[in-house]
Amino acid sequence: MNESVILMFPIVLPVLFGGAILCVPRIRSRSALLCAAGAGLILTALSVLAVLLGNADTYTLFYLTKSLPVYFRLDGIGRLFAAVMALVWLLGGVYSFSYMKHEKEEKRYFGFYLIVYGIILALAFSGNIITFYLFYELMTLFSVPLVLHKGTREAVMAGLKYLLYSLCGAYLVLFGIYFLFRFSNTLSFTWGGVLNQELIGGREPFLLFTAFLMILGFGVKAGMFPLHSWLATAHPEAPGPASAVLSGIIVKCGVLGVIRTVYYLFGAEFLRGSWVQTVWIALTLFTVFMGSMLAYREKLLKKRLAYSTVSQISYILFGLSVLDGTAMTGALLHVICHAFVKCALFLCAGAIICKTGRTRVDELKGIGKEMPVMMWCFTLCSLALIGIPPTGGFVSKWYLAVGALKSAVPVFSWLGPVVLLVSALLTAGYLLPIVSDAFFPGAEYESGSFEKKEADPYMLLPIVILTALAVAMGVLSAQIVPFLQTAAG
Amino acid sequence: MQPVMMFVAVLLPVLAGVLAMLIPFSKRKYLEIFLEGMSLLDSVLVYSLLTHRPTEAFAIVRFTGDLTLSFRIDGMGMVFGALAAALWPLAMLYAFEYMRKEKHQKLFFLFYMATYGVTLGIAFAEDLVTMYFFYELLTLVTVPLVMHTLTREAILASRKYLYYSLGGAAFGFLGMIFIIVYGISPDFVLGGSLDLAAVGNRTDLLLLIYVLAFFGFGVKAAVCPFNSWLPDAGVAPTPVTALLHAVAVVKAGAFAIIRLTYYCFGTEFLRGTWAQTVVMTVTIVTIVYGCSRAVKETHIKRRLAYSTISNLSYILFGVTIMTPAGLVGALSHMIFHAVMKICSFFCAGAVIHQSGRNYVYELDGLGRRMPKVFGIFTVSAMALTGVPGLCGFISKWNLAKAAVESDNPLAFAGVGALLVSALLTAIYMFTIVLRAFFPVGEPDPEAAQDICDPNWYMLLPLFLFVLAIVGFGLYSAPIVEFFTKISQGLF
Repeated sequence: MNESVILMFPIVLPVLFGGAILCVPRIRSRSALLCAAGAGLILTALSVLAVLLGNADTYTLFYLTKSLPVYFRLDGIGRLFAAVMALVWLLGGVYSFSYMKHEKEEKRYFGFYLIVYGIILALAFSGNIITFYLFYELMTLFSVPLVLHKGTREAVMAGLKYLLYSLCGAYLVLFGIYFLFRFSNTLSFTWGGVLNQELIGGREPFLLFTAFLMILGFGVKAGMFPLHSWLATAHPEAPGPASAVLSGIIVKCGVLGVIRTVYYLFGAEFLRGSWVQTVWIALTLFTVFMGSMLAYREKLLKKRLAYSTVSQISYILFGLSVLDGTAMTGALLHVICHAFVKCALFLCAGAIICKTGRTRVDELKGIGKEMPVMMWCFTLCSLALIGIPPTGGFVSKWYLAVGALKSAVPVFSWLGPVVLLVSALLTAGYLLPIVSDAFFPGAEYESGSFEKKEADPYMLLPIVILTALAVAMGVLSAQIVPFLQTAAG
Repeated sequence: MQPVMMFVAVLLPVLAGVLAMLIPFSKRKYLEIFLEGMSLLDSVLVYSLLTHRPTEAFAIVRFTGDLTLSFRIDGMGMVFGALAAALWPLAMLYAFEYMRKEKHQKLFFLFYMATYGVTLGIAFAEDLVTMYFFYELLTLVTVPLVMHTLTREAILASRKYLYYSLGGAAFGFLGMIFIIVYGISPDFVLGGSLDLAAVGNRTDLLLLIYVLAFFGFGVKAAVCPFNSWLPDAGVAPTPVTALLHAVAVVKAGAFAIIRLTYYCFGTEFLRGTWAQTVVMTVTIVTIVYGCSRAVKETHIKRRLAYSTISNLSYILFGVTIMTPAGLVGALSHMIFHAVMKICSFFCAGAVIHQSGRNYVYELDGLGRRMPKVFGIFTVSAMALTGVPGLCGFISKWNLAKAAVESDNPLAFAGVGALLVSALLTAIYMFTIVLRAFFPVGEPDPEAAQDICDPNWYMLLPLFLFVLAIVGFGLYSAPIVEFFTKISQGLF
């Protein structure tokens, strides 16, 4: 235990920079804005690196009331999430430098982008559920401007939908927190749970109900059925890089919330074999299948990707819901892998919109000839998402399936892997046709008529880096897995 | 301090109001300075009374027997008195600017000041009789304020307000009689003053009387189904709606119910009875009802009025939990809601004053024109929905904690109602914020060009309120500690 204020730097820095960009009228020219935003992004990423490498791990900021400290603690899960968030958010920011040239109100965008950067890092560092809830609410409120950025009627309505769904989820969580506070010793995250058997005294059924509400509540952000529909509305409406980080990172905050609730507050043992676990597994598997089906039928590229997110996040939730160490390792691997892959795919979709203005899947014939490097990345990421060896997706799905088969959950231990497999086929079905049409547009398209429209380096570089990471993850998994296994207990 | 000072504190604003009427001020500025000075002086007096509390009671009039009009300050009275004394000078400042163009200003300020005195009278009342006296008086001095514009609408609204309040007070009177007959004394005693030997087997009758009196005083606190006067009374000028119909008058209703429940009938007598079930159900229904109506309403002030209805029932919900923790929750929401709601009302008033726009759909893009006002409004909206770090979270936490600890299944449902209401609050508050800051489509650069933030008369109170919202949200330990002591009878 090392109490140190260093833990605050990655949270305070981006918020300060973002606030300055929003409030200081002197940042007027585009170059000044980009300098400020770039400095904010890089300094934050560096400070995250410093924190991850350093040995500071706790910090109590202040007390909301006598028994509610705002308390930060860095553990394995937190380190993992912080690392992924810091990296992806930084790359999304770099991409925005070029992409946002085509949008209005850049200042507002970068201001809120940076503030949310700080808030999500605070989520990763949170040491108790109150702190987590505090930043969870703030994340919702401050990310709304990113969603409705375009200012069209649809975008504003999407922003509102996002806000209301998220708040609805947050209040389900809050309901659970009220009761946890009564029946537990502490609200600090403790592996194995914080419930106090003496205080509960026969109220287990009720507590199971509150646990279910909390899972459902955090499940809203993670796009779990039945409260998933905001995702397919909000992600396509946001500007390219914003939808990339929304799909890659913000939804993961819901996953983090579920992990904290299940493993660190109620404890896996409390839920094992209960109706909550059964219903939860059923919901995740249904979401996996439904998301893939909807993506398969969808014609708008960004919306297809959003439905794909719905499906893929529920892979992660499924891995968590079987309450098995191996499956949880798979879930954590998939957190990383999906963050890289989905962010890269959304950035590709953004680049296509930015350079050609095309949004529908059937308009993408021959895009591989126009933007070859980007489309190659798209292809590799698609393969990683489907789970073809040796990409990251293969390893994570392997662990998920093995964990599910190993667990003692009746029916679902074999049904789960089957659904995952079917969904993988569907994933191939909704991603690979795009790829094949892009590179082999067919006879009616003259091969000479394509002009090069490759995105500029600011946009291309993040995509390439993310793709490389997604592919390399499969190869490097031997190094990552032991770390994840300790984090997964 | 001398006990007589309590009487002085109550009388001073009334006299100041009358004097302001009589003295022919050559400039409006002098009138402002006089009134502001007087209300500040009275607030200083109140705070020194609270820090150096007189131990003795002060009797103004002695009727037959032990019926007296008398003052004594206990913990509850301190809370309500401190609240009024903190808000009144700021509201005065705001009112000067808001009323600048209105007619009959002196009359307005006479009644505005008089209401200050009467509110303090309710806070300092030693027994039910005194409180009842000032409670009736409060209705009478605030009716002219509602009527102020003298439009047909205003006259109808004030008439409705008068009938509702007087009718409610009649039921309160009934409760008072029974407390005098079956109580040891009409004085407020934490834990109740019922003489159980005298009650004998008339428990059900007394419970019925409690429920009737709850509804009677509940009229001012706008419980369902007696709440329609409150949105109508919103025709009054904003300083009145903000201070009286979001804080002083309606909180006087809540205050009276706290006195009735904790200090007259006593929670021991009421807890677990059908009476508790009835009143708690009513508060839960009102919580959800108020919010739903607020979502439907497009007139800004009426929307906020419905929000007040819902939030008042948060306080009453805390009261009806009938445990010390419930009282702590009720008191925290009483104070914190006062700050949040007066803040959002003043913002709405500033918008109306600067732009003349009254409806939510007229606010598109005004956030750019009035960044300070809408920035503050956003903070108050976040506080009302209960974002952690702002004061609304603390009071809801205290309420929910009390409800969870009470082990009453109905109270658990109440926690659910609080959260449903929080979601609805988010809808009706954030739609305003979104419209103001993120208008749909291209804003017309010509439109609304002359609209800007108001001057410091209006901004200073707003800044202080927003400071209070954040301050209480981040550092609430001492004040909650104080409430806990009150609930245990240590003050």
